[in-house]
Amino acid sequence: MSDQGNDLKRDIELGTALGAALEMPHHGAFVTRMKALARQARPRTWDEVLAGWFWQGVLTTSMVLVAVLVGLNHVDGDATPLAGEESVAVQLIDAQRPGADVILASMTGAR
Amino acid sequence: MTGVDDSELAARASRGDPDAFGELVDRHAPMARRVAYAVLEDQEDADDAAQEGFLSAWQALGRYDPKRAFRPWLMQIVVNAARDLRRRRRVRAAEPLEYVAAAARDDPARETGEIHLGEQLRNALATLPERQRLAVVLFDAEGYPQAEIARMLGIPEGTVKSDVFHGRRALRKVLGSVKEEWDE
Repeated sequence: MSDQGNDLKRDIELGTALGAALEMPHHGAFVTRMKALARQARPRTWDEVLAGWFWQGVLTTSMVLVAVLVGLNHVDGDATPLAGEESVAVQLIDAQRPGADVILASMTGAR
Repeated sequence: MTGVDDSELAARASRGDPDAFGELVDRHAPMARRVAYAVLEDQEDADDAAQEGFLSAWQALGRYDPKRAFRPWLMQIVVNAARDLRRRRRVRAAEPLEYVAAAARDDPARETGEIHLGEQLRNALATLPERQRLAVVLFDAEGYPQAEIARMLGIPEGTVKSDVFHGRRALRKVLGSVKEEWDE
């Protein structure tokens, strides 16, 4: 047996026999199948990746913008009636305000 | 594409050239399938693992460093794919391995010397632990240096040396007995 004492060198005889023992049939069919699979599973190039991100980015930005606008509108909607409306008491105190006497009369039952 | 080296083909393949990748498959499939077989001990499983390994490499080519040799990089991926497949098919894989190991010990045909050398070697391989099988196949059959095998398998170089030593001992016994039969 060749190189039996030296484990840092290849045992060519054993290696050749092992290589032949492990040889698998149908190399051509395997390669053809792999090529077909590789075409289906082709990795995306950078521009394709960026293009994919572009539409996701546009969609996300649009959704964020809509959310911000809706949020702002909601805040404005809450604030406006509070600022614009005055309590009945304030309206009554202001004697110059037209209609104060009508409100007072309705509250006292027009007696 | 003969004459173009692996690194150049890998660079073209990483830019999405399927023909370049096909050439790499054509060059390295025999070794990838043998190495996968050394892990899985089954031709169909070995082909599945080699296929998964090639597809993983195809997807990962963007991360391949062309300064490193392509073949060990690919083989590391194939070994990982084969080990992963074996884990997933542990139950299925256990039966044939046990059967083959038993056949290596008890097959009556062995006594008459009628079993082909290849079959005897495969049977003897099946009796070895997976790491020893891989170490011997990668070192003696595929010609990788022990340091490269250590990197591929993620083990110390001394362990590879020891695995090669122990693996060879069993396989040389088979090879020796077959040669004796041939001489008689």
